[in-house]
Amino acid sequence: MGKASVVIVGSGAGGAVAAWALAGAGHPVTILEKGRNLIPGLGTRGGIGSLFGNDEVKAGRYFENQDPQLEPRTTRSQTEAAKGKARSFTGDFNSLAVTVGGGTVHWDAKTPRFWRQDFKGLTLHGPMPGANVADWPLTYEDLATYYYEVEARLGVQGDVSRMPAATLAQAPRRHPFAMAPNPPMHAGSLLAEGARTLGYRPYPFPMAVNSRTFEGRPRCNSCGFCSGYGCPINARGGAAVSFLHPALLAGARLIPRAFAHRVETSADGRRATGVAWRDTEGVSHKESADIVILAASSIETARLLLLSAAGAHPDGLGNRSGQVGRNLMFHYFSLGVGVFDEDVHGWRGPSSTFTLDDFVGPDIGDAAKSAGLPYLKGGICEVGGAFLLLEEAQAYAALPGNWGKPHKELMRTGLLRSHVAGLSMVGEDMPQLANRVDLDPAIKDVYGFPVPRITHSSHRFEQAASAAIAPKLAAICRAAPGAIAAFGLGYPSELAGVGPASTAHIMGTARMGEDPGASVVDARGRMHELENVYIADGSVFASSGGFNPTLTIMALSLRMARLLGR
Amino acid sequence: MELDVHRRSFAQAMGTLCLISLLPGGGRGESLSSAQPGGAGPFLTQSEMETLRAVVARLIPGPPDDPDPGAREAGVAEAIDALLGAFSLRAPPIHAGGPFSGRAGGARDDFADFVPMDALAELGWRIRIEGSKGLAEREFAGPVVGLQAVYRDGLARLGSNAAKRFGARFSVLTGSDQDRLLSEGADDGVRSLVGAALAHALEFMYGPPEYGGNRGLVGWAYTRWAADDQPRGFTDDEVSGSGGGSLCLAEPKARALVESFLGALSPRPARTPSLWSDCGKAGKT
Repeated sequence: MGKASVVIVGSGAGGAVAAWALAGAGHPVTILEKGRNLIPGLGTRGGIGSLFGNDEVKAGRYFENQDPQLEPRTTRSQTEAAKGKARSFTGDFNSLAVTVGGGTVHWDAKTPRFWRQDFKGLTLHGPMPGANVADWPLTYEDLATYYYEVEARLGVQGDVSRMPAATLAQAPRRHPFAMAPNPPMHAGSLLAEGARTLGYRPYPFPMAVNSRTFEGRPRCNSCGFCSGYGCPINARGGAAVSFLHPALLAGARLIPRAFAHRVETSADGRRATGVAWRDTEGVSHKESADIVILAASSIETARLLLLSAAGAHPDGLGNRSGQVGRNLMFHYFSLGVGVFDEDVHGWRGPSSTFTLDDFVGPDIGDAAKSAGLPYLKGGICEVGGAFLLLEEAQAYAALPGNWGKPHKELMRTGLLRSHVAGLSMVGEDMPQLANRVDLDPAIKDVYGFPVPRITHSSHRFEQAASAAIAPKLAAICRAAPGAIAAFGLGYPSELAGVGPASTAHIMGTARMGEDPGASVVDARGRMHELENVYIADGSVFASSGGFNPTLTIMALSLRMARLLGR
Repeated sequence: MELDVHRRSFAQAMGTLCLISLLPGGGRGESLSSAQPGGAGPFLTQSEMETLRAVVARLIPGPPDDPDPGAREAGVAEAIDALLGAFSLRAPPIHAGGPFSGRAGGARDDFADFVPMDALAELGWRIRIEGSKGLAEREFAGPVVGLQAVYRDGLARLGSNAAKRFGARFSVLTGSDQDRLLSEGADDGVRSLVGAALAHALEFMYGPPEYGGNRGLVGWAYTRWAADDQPRGFTDDEVSGSGGGSLCLAEPKARALVESFLGALSPRPARTPSLWSDCGKAGKT
């Protein structure tokens, strides 16, 4: 008898890693991907090409991104929800790339590990008023070996000897990185020096970018089109090039443009029998399998579970607890901006080459006390970045009426492109029951299914942390050699780039936990209520940490797949 | 997907054949930028084009209002027209190809080979450009006003406002009169037009020329933008060293603009900007 057949929904970070591990272990694997395949040669012996280029226009035209014209999302605040308002916005909201390889086709590729404390927040730091803090049912040590294996496969650069002792105490590493850091970006070096002056500890940002030829893919040439842009030369590791490609070579089957809309279950509701999906002609198909793995990203996985309601699962698949879709988390972005007389070309390079994690926390000082909260936490920072040309033009035009001569004059200065260095912080979000994904009661997508509706309001925790830390980000920028002005932009700034909605980090909605009454999956990623359905994306996060989540999604997926194969 | 096959065939028969016969290269981007100014493009009429050229010239001015070429010189209006008529072209100029433009090495211009759209991607862009037109297969999330209508109606509004207020065509008014009409926020049609035209003007002025704008790379020349750099990329020194230069601006007006923009970024700057204190010492490029 052969190995169990597996169907995976989603070919991004979680799905590709599971496909790689399970196909490599001899399972028949089928991957259903809603998006197109935009990677020529993927899964062929001839090697991988690229349709991406240094092209800002294409990136803004839903080439790899979800087209909100076809698949809009709706949103509302907690207050609006309480007043019974169905939605206050319909359109593009926190959509990840919808294409083979998912968000990692254009990710920033920053790969910090979560810290030990992130997995045990409730035990270590206690509850937070108005939030739903919980421990994960696993520890950093449970994930460490999978972190390492994923890093080795992605080709992560970094320098352990330059990492702060405090970081290594929270996220211990037994191995060096696969390669040395990229050439340091000038703007980042200036801010890093400013940070050191003030006693902070910047270091080279671990990232899945090649500083040397790796697995047949070339060294990064610092072209400047990184975060938000597909790599023209495949110098960046990711779900598609690092995992999906070898998975397909090992025999996994990929079906692009396959929209999974229902997990089919047995009459008693205890097992999934497969996944129903639609092709672009609207024709229905069913992929039967022994094991179903959901990795469609937090918002879409929750939606799929809710769309899969059945007799034995009246409120959505595996939702007896009522937890499916809840505890939706983003990261709250705060910014520091330094202005320089010289051209610091902060766009030239892989978005940023330095990080600092001094603001991760927890901080129990005055800012927490004055917010009436037991503690505050921030997150990891990208040190030194700037705008590309069209991004700059759009930023100036965001000021009402700013067109014509004034706009052109600003473009001539190149202020946001050449004379600023940015410092952005990924602030931890508190999980809240009222922040959730459910099905919009009226709006449908192109396939005719209800779109996901996002109800979200920031917690005082994120707001107070952002307000307290933004001035510190400004102080670092101000201390950089040659800085002539500096700004801190945090809560309550309404500017683009600040706040929760400016992140592509989406977590929660199918929390991992030991208690089936308060969580959706167990420590292995298996749904409490189903014997053979697993979740392998950011949905399962019990806390959001102050770190880019993709590496942790991949490590969790790899652990799930390895335990499943046993 | 359930596309409007009849209309598509009609468009192909009329629009595509006429246009393609004029353009060597069959709908490739480089051909878009060689479309003749003044000629009717894929969608807008000659008179609509005349108004649109005047509009974009106010959004991104060129000579004599500004020393450097602007949207008119960059061919922005022609590029907008190509987008509005994208589905009358054999290869809709929506997503340029990759990976290389051929301008920094690489054997050829891959950008000029627009990526073919599958049925679903095409449906999304048809809805965006043509609108939902009351078709059930386009109105799953409600009716959508397309860009074609936004431009056509907005340009007509501008024309009638110009006639009413100044008794002349928009394109022959003085710059300040044109600005006055463009700034009429109370007119929904004009406001939508200006919003769309500004977004597109920026794309076509500062994006790759394969989309039809940025002719002669004028949008990259005056901004000294050198990021069309693949596969050459940047050397370690270019990444890690100072770019030199100075933010010093010749015109006091430009300085005031930078200061007011920075002021708008943050009501509470961490330090009062003293942007120009080092002007004398720093070398200008």
